[in-house]
Amino acid sequence: MAEERTLTFIVTDNCIKCKYMDCVEVCPVDCFYEGENMLVIHPDECIDCGVCEPECPAEAIFPDTKPELESWLKLNADYALVWPNITIKREPPADAKEFDGVSGKFERYFSPNPGQGD
Amino acid sequence: MKIDQISEDGIRRLVDEFYARVRADTELAPIFYRAIPGDWGLHLATMRDFWSSVMLTSGRYKGNPVAVHLRIEGMEPRLFDRWLELFSDTCGELFDEGLAESLRAKALRIAESLKLALFYRPDRPWPRSVP
Repeated sequence: MAEERTLTFIVTDNCIKCKYMDCVEVCPVDCFYEGENMLVIHPDECIDCGVCEPECPAEAIFPDTKPELESWLKLNADYALVWPNITIKREPPADAKEFDGVSGKFERYFSPNPGQGD
Repeated sequence: MKIDQISEDGIRRLVDEFYARVRADTELAPIFYRAIPGDWGLHLATMRDFWSSVMLTSGRYKGNPVAVHLRIEGMEPRLFDRWLELFSDTCGELFDEGLAESLRAKALRIAESLKLALFYRPDRPWPRSVP
C-alpha cells in the first residue's frame, strides 16, 4: 500500500459525546466535519496551523505525527468525506462534561451517522 | 525597538513589510504578480486576516488555501523555501526572537502542509525541508 502523507491535526476519542465545537470557530480553513456525536478534520484541507489544538476543552485534537494515532487519521479522512461541514459552534451536548475523560468511548459510543452541520 | 507581543498592529506591519519584499524579489515576484494581477490591497487584507486567525485565533480568515494554491500555475517547491526565507528575515527584523520564532514555526508547518498538498505523490520520495 502506498504511504499516506499528510500534515494535519486529527480529532480523537475524547471528542466523542463531548463535541464542544470550540475548534470550528477558530479554524481558519473550515476543515471540520460533523458526525452525530463527534467532529473530524479533513486532512487534505487542514493546513497544520495548530490553532484548534489548544482550543479543544476535551484535549481531543492532536498532530498526526503520533504513530499510535494512525487509525484516527483514517477515521478523520473517511468521515470528513461523508459528514457535513461545520463552521459555526452550537451548544455542546448537555451531558458533555460527564463524558469528558471517559476512556474507550469509540467502542461504546461512536456513531457513523452524520451530524446536522451548519 | 522590536515588537515582543503579537497584536493586530504587529500583524499589519508583518504583512505589509513581507509582501513589499515579495514584490521586489526576483524569484517570487513573477508568480505573485501572475496570481494577483489586480488589487494587492485585497490580498494584503486577506493575509492580515489569515495571520490574525493563526496567531490571535480571531477566526477572521475563512478560506481554502490548499484549493487556492492548487489553481496557481508554475508552483514549485523551491518557491516555498524562498518564501520562508523572506518571511523569516522579516520576522527577525520586526519582532523579538521568541515571537519571530513562533511565527517562523507556524509558517514552516503551514508551508510544509501546502507543499504536501501540492506536490506529494505516493510513488515518489518526499524531500522534507529542514528548518
